[in-house]
Amino acid sequence: MNMTLPLNFSGSERSSWRIDSLLLLAVLALMSLGLTMVASASFSYAEHNFNNELYFVKRHAIYIFIALAAMGVTFFTPPSVWSQYSRLWMLLATLLLIIVLIPGIGREVNGSRRWLSIAGLTLQVSELAKVATVVFMASYFANNREGFGDNWRDWAKPLCVLMLPLILLLMEPDFGSLVVLSCTFMAMLFLTGIKLWHYFGLVFAGSSVLAIFAEAAPYRMARLSSFLDPWSDQFNSGYQLTQSLIAFGRGEWFGVGLGQSVQKMLYLPEAHTDFVFAIFAEEFGFIGVLCLLGLYVLLVWRIFSLSKKAVAQEYWYGVFVLIGFGCLISGQTLINLGVNAGFLPTKGLTLPFVSYGGSSLMVTCAMVGMMLRIGHELHPDTQVVRRARRGR
Amino acid sequence: MLVLASLPLFVAVKIAQLQVMPSEEHGAEFLQTQGDARAIRTETIPGHRGLITDRNGQPLAVSTPVTTLIANPKRVNEQAQVDDLAKLAKALNISLVQLQSRLERYRNKSFMYLARQLPSIEADRILDLRIPGVFGRQEYKRFYPAGEVTAQLVGFTDINDAGQEGMELAYNAILAGEPGAKKVVKDLAGRVIKDISLVKPANHGSTLRLSIDLRVQYAAYRALKASVQRHQAKSGSVIVLDVHTGEVLAMANQPSFNPNDRSNLRVDSVRNRSVIDMMEPGSTAKPFTILAALESGKFKPETIIDTSPGYLKVAYKTFIDPRDYGDLDLIGILNKSSQVGTTKLALALNPDNTRELFERMGFGEGIGSGFPGETAGNLPAYRKWDPVTQATYAFGYGFSASPLQLARAYSILANDGLRREVSMTAIDEYQDESVRVINADIVKTVRQMLETAASDQGTGRRALIDGYSVGGKTGTARKLKATGGYDENRHMSLFAGLSPINNPRLVTVVVIDEPNEDTYAGGLVAAPVFSEVTGSALRLLQVTPDAMSAERNIVSLPTTLAKRGGL
Repeated sequence: MNMTLPLNFSGSERSSWRIDSLLLLAVLALMSLGLTMVASASFSYAEHNFNNELYFVKRHAIYIFIALAAMGVTFFTPPSVWSQYSRLWMLLATLLLIIVLIPGIGREVNGSRRWLSIAGLTLQVSELAKVATVVFMASYFANNREGFGDNWRDWAKPLCVLMLPLILLLMEPDFGSLVVLSCTFMAMLFLTGIKLWHYFGLVFAGSSVLAIFAEAAPYRMARLSSFLDPWSDQFNSGYQLTQSLIAFGRGEWFGVGLGQSVQKMLYLPEAHTDFVFAIFAEEFGFIGVLCLLGLYVLLVWRIFSLSKKAVAQEYWYGVFVLIGFGCLISGQTLINLGVNAGFLPTKGLTLPFVSYGGSSLMVTCAMVGMMLRIGHELHPDTQVVRRARRGR
Repeated sequence: MLVLASLPLFVAVKIAQLQVMPSEEHGAEFLQTQGDARAIRTETIPGHRGLITDRNGQPLAVSTPVTTLIANPKRVNEQAQVDDLAKLAKALNISLVQLQSRLERYRNKSFMYLARQLPSIEADRILDLRIPGVFGRQEYKRFYPAGEVTAQLVGFTDINDAGQEGMELAYNAILAGEPGAKKVVKDLAGRVIKDISLVKPANHGSTLRLSIDLRVQYAAYRALKASVQRHQAKSGSVIVLDVHTGEVLAMANQPSFNPNDRSNLRVDSVRNRSVIDMMEPGSTAKPFTILAALESGKFKPETIIDTSPGYLKVAYKTFIDPRDYGDLDLIGILNKSSQVGTTKLALALNPDNTRELFERMGFGEGIGSGFPGETAGNLPAYRKWDPVTQATYAFGYGFSASPLQLARAYSILANDGLRREVSMTAIDEYQDESVRVINADIVKTVRQMLETAASDQGTGRRALIDGYSVGGKTGTARKLKATGGYDENRHMSLFAGLSPINNPRLVTVVVIDEPNEDTYAGGLVAAPVFSEVTGSALRLLQVTPDAMSAERNIVSLPTTLAKRGGL
């Protein structure tokens, strides 16, 4: 289950790095699939719009290198660096979320202000904010674990902190990230040992807010619910979804074959980003879809089994981070698949590890790096060292 | 935990409904139908128009592939940048403002032409600009390699490839290609990704082989054009007929036009005068009057007719010869083209019989070529013949015919009295459907007379050809005035003849309309064209020369003598 890296940086204390190889394998498999699918899905679009078929493939390959580097950095950084300075990360992320809203600095695409241009690369700030929030919450919950939930103030304080990025995300707007982050927070909160009636009261309150919100702006509701029957307005609001569904329909069991998709021929907008899964389903069929789902299941299963290990070792920061990241990744995956297959409303969420996009890839890989590091810390060989350090 | 495990299962089921579950309302089958409705298009395969060639397969009208640039104004307006439009306007050679106003005018449409029928290289250059909403469509454009030489005969098509004039129009049904159709998958930009199936193959039009021989046609056209220019004539026509089969070997007209660039087209030059225009044949009809005289039995070739004193008063009109020819036999009448002699002949004959013979010669009867605008001429019948009409009829006034009809009539003389219909398309296997319309001996006699007429003794001496014997008749017809009566100063100069005389192969008719006033006699204007064209044609057809030893000195002939011929 574990593999040993023949690396020895600090020489004395550690003899080797323990890496959860199945987790890494799932990630690498997904990323290779991603590169293949980005190539297949973007050729036509790139050729048509940039006169260069390899426009996106080249960039995606570079992003993969950057993402792997980010994974390396987070793996080799001790978890304590993240948890000790978690307030700083949270502050930075909030600042970035504010900066991105300033017209002229944040770049607006499709009516959403989500991107910062830094040195030619665009950064989706909400991706960073999600990670920072999870790290902050994990650190907070771990530090206040003793007797948590006795008083409602215990959970009200982090909730207040959470409101800040949530409101900023709402202003972008980036509903997808908002939903994913809220759900992740609720999952983490559930594990703190909060009183159940508090918890469900909170869930109820959140749902009520959402309901009022929808009620106040029926047009938003209408847009949200248009996914339920895309065929009624198939050349307008339902256009992208119907094209996506057609891609699924063409795939059948075994798919039309790699590179043979018709829907990617400019029919399906954003075929290489948010809707890459639909093209995958068209080219590889239902069998391919099951394989891809399997990879994600493997990934999430590894994350949760690591968290179980962490619970057993009472490494609470690790537990919360693993659960938080696991929820972020699986939640985002679920929403993206749901959007592609037409059972969730359209949200600008990418498919982790697969979709084209530097920020998402970099941030998810950074999360993987942090989780792998926690996995290393949980390994029996390294426990002694960690305990010793914690005792210091 | 159970909830978490059920989520991927839920996703899998949802996707399975889309992809593999049968009898799902919005399942794979429905989705594929929807997808096909969006991506599968029926594409037309252009069927090109048939080739028109001369009798030897030389191309006269060819369909060449060109590209028509079309645009979807909606998409262009929505997606194209201003500098895209500027580039497009520059490539199309129009101003940006013009282009924008055109796009504005069609802004609610999804189709407009940008430029039609560009050479494919040029169009590809514009398509390479990749301006959204601009597409190319393959079409065919007619190209006429022989240009003005065959312009009126071949005709032309409009921009939609439909015949408009000439043979292009007459034979449009067999020339026109029929576009086929195929099913293709297209991307959203309208580019074909792959072919699926052939719905209907394209039918290319059939080849039309005309009867003309391009070499003879060139010779005829060259000679005609030179003559029309030299004599500052208004127009002219030349027809060369193969008397063995009735095929038209050449049919040239002046003025002409360039069918490949009709931007400065003069309507006047489009008409195929040889087939469409009516004219009074004038003296070229006299051989038929002689035929009538001989057929009546009242006259023999050597019958002497007294033409003194050189004029003859019939009712209100006096017919005058250039001078007093004295006693003339029929040959003499034809040679000198004596009005007095012809009038006396005509008056001695039954006019209805004469007209009936003219009818047998095909006057007043259409060619049946199907050529658009073909005339049947006009051969009036009179209940009561007035003596003047009776006389003028005899020398080719008072009825009219097209040059082609005249050529057909002369081919009866060439064929010993057998009438063959003329054909403007090549005949693959000739089947003789000729009809005897007159006694062969009489025809042979008249042919001998025509040889003399086209000799030093007659008006047509400039029609002589080196190496071949020639028979023919000049004609110098006054033209009708718009106000009625005949114009003294406007003439039509004619020559109709055949060669070689004993075993004729070709009939050639030359018509020069309104040569300038100084030289207008058929013997001076039309006869040399006949000589040049028929001579070239005979040599091209490798007809055995039959008059090798003839010594002729046409140039030294006093022009005054020739000038007197005519009428």
